[in-house]
Amino acid sequence: MRTICTIIGVSLFSCSIFSEVLGELILENRSFFKEGYLNQDKQHSSFTFSPEIYIEDGETIFHFKSKFRKDSQDTNRNLLDIQELYFLSIGESKEIKYGVSKEFWGVTETNHRVDIINQTDFTEALDGEEKLGQPMIKVSFEESWGNLDIYALLGFRERKFFGKEGRLTLPVIIDKNESVYESSAKDRRTDFAIRWSNYYDQLDIAISYFSGNSREPRIIPIDDAYSKMIPLYETIDQVGLELTYLVGSLALKAEIISRSGQGERFSALTAGFEYTQVGIFDSRIDLGWILEMNHDDRLDSSPSILGTRLSLNDAYDSQILSGIVWNKVNGEVGFLLESSRRIGDCCLLSIEGFYFDDRDRDNNEPKLFETLLDDDFLKLEFTYYL
Amino acid sequence: MTNIMKTKNIRPAKVILLTFLLFFTLSQTLSANKGLEIAIKSDKNFDGYEDSSSEMTMELISKKGDVVTRKLKFKRLEVPGDGDKSLAVFESPRDVKGVAILSFAHKTEPDDQWLYLPALKRVKRIASKNKSGPFLGSEFSFEDFSFQEVEKYDYQYIRDEEYEGMLCHVIERIPLDPYSGYTKQIVWIDTEYFLIRKIHHFDRKSFHLKTQLFLDYEIYDEAYWQPHRVVMNNNQNGKSSILSFKEVKYKNGLTDRDFSQNSLKRSR
Repeated sequence: MRTICTIIGVSLFSCSIFSEVLGELILENRSFFKEGYLNQDKQHSSFTFSPEIYIEDGETIFHFKSKFRKDSQDTNRNLLDIQELYFLSIGESKEIKYGVSKEFWGVTETNHRVDIINQTDFTEALDGEEKLGQPMIKVSFEESWGNLDIYALLGFRERKFFGKEGRLTLPVIIDKNESVYESSAKDRRTDFAIRWSNYYDQLDIAISYFSGNSREPRIIPIDDAYSKMIPLYETIDQVGLELTYLVGSLALKAEIISRSGQGERFSALTAGFEYTQVGIFDSRIDLGWILEMNHDDRLDSSPSILGTRLSLNDAYDSQILSGIVWNKVNGEVGFLLESSRRIGDCCLLSIEGFYFDDRDRDNNEPKLFETLLDDDFLKLEFTYYL
Repeated sequence: MTNIMKTKNIRPAKVILLTFLLFFTLSQTLSANKGLEIAIKSDKNFDGYEDSSSEMTMELISKKGDVVTRKLKFKRLEVPGDGDKSLAVFESPRDVKGVAILSFAHKTEPDDQWLYLPALKRVKRIASKNKSGPFLGSEFSFEDFSFQEVEKYDYQYIRDEEYEGMLCHVIERIPLDPYSGYTKQIVWIDTEYFLIRKIHHFDRKSFHLKTQLFLDYEIYDEAYWQPHRVVMNNNQNGKSSILSFKEVKYKNGLTDRDFSQNSLKRSR
């Protein structure tokens, strides 16, 4: 790193600069137990490469990170994305960011309702934590009354959907090439967002507002014959509230949104708690518990999720994560088991298993997992850090 | 007569008992006072340090002698009248690179703590009470890293004794925080500079679990003593962890802005 510092540093800046070039290589294989609902293959592999450059010179930061993904089966899962490409200028109590970046809002673990700046890439991960880069100008103020972030979001990123060959299987085939917008500016619209956050003793709070193209489209038929389904991106207004309150070692958390612009105004909520038992059975193993409940005005019923995390606290940072998703109204359940450990100083290995089931196929409740019932899979992921 | 006899018989016993009790409580109070005095003197070593920064290397040594290494950067800020602020940023191993912990310690209230997860770019408020767990898989626990504010313990002076060629005060301190992983700590503080040289940590079953050694003290700015090596030996599992400090700097001109949520998000 020193050499790069010297090369760039001598010519461009004073050499008080700090710089890093990093990279991440991920090999992933998903093995499905059965052929898909649409006769998709059982084996799906992909390869992801993310190079990164970071340069910091006192009050200015330059950051670049891109992501390239190639999937063996599903061209819709291929990706070439700029995740970060920005300059950040740091003032006394103000920061300004210009360029492409990722911004996370929220406090709950299993669902991210308030988070809205970036488009979510569900084709990469089902947890909604993989994002596409968003062009923006962001101004941040940090004062005694809290932190205030104001965003102008320049342009829009459409959602990615699994293709016909891909898995998981969607209930409908979505033609993303024919997406429609409510706004005449379409994906060139400049959206606006603002978020205030602060903490008071054991309480962390954030209130946010977003106005612009909905990151979450509604899926509509293109004609009365339902020959094709397409995404509709409406213009929405969304108010969000995030709360974390600590009671001893128990963290109570809630995310609430109220959104207008997609039919009737609706509210949705994710709330629950997180608790860690340190050193169970007089060992050095920690056991973390997460219980979260959902409500969404648009749905007849929403699932609840119970998760546990066993941290062995060994030199390899070995962890075992398990989760149960259940909807007691429509009878659907899902299981997740994930285990990960470090290999040497360079690598990380993780094995995940997903299982979907419907315990009550005869009820007339709307189903979410219908096309996923053949999509149980094991995922093996190997990450190499350059 | 019999009454007088009785009183006479009882009186000397009472007096002895009372004197003994008085002496006992007095010596208890005195040794508590003396223990506290020593702790305060030791703590005063850091008065006015303003801020400090360092690069730490942590070696985790298994019972068989295998070594794995962790690297982190550490900054702290003196907050007059309250506990210190600190920012720890992990550098290696690579999968945790960029993970950072921001802590605002308080004298008696629980500390405020936020964790930064770089993959998601998420700042997460965490319960500082989960402090007794291992730090990065090492023999150090989170609380060994937090500031040992004087107010967080009860003290008893035990004795003076020679340790490694230094005359040391040996004091016992009992953590007041019920979430501490320790029930008792015996601390060796030298009588010349009042620096902590050794701590015996006792676990919840009052077993002498860990021995912590503070080695290679060097003075900075002619005022602040910094150990360059801190060793933690676990007597139960035979593992040990060694923390080495490099690039130690005092008075960097850091301010609250360097310990804010925004600075946490851009910590490297």
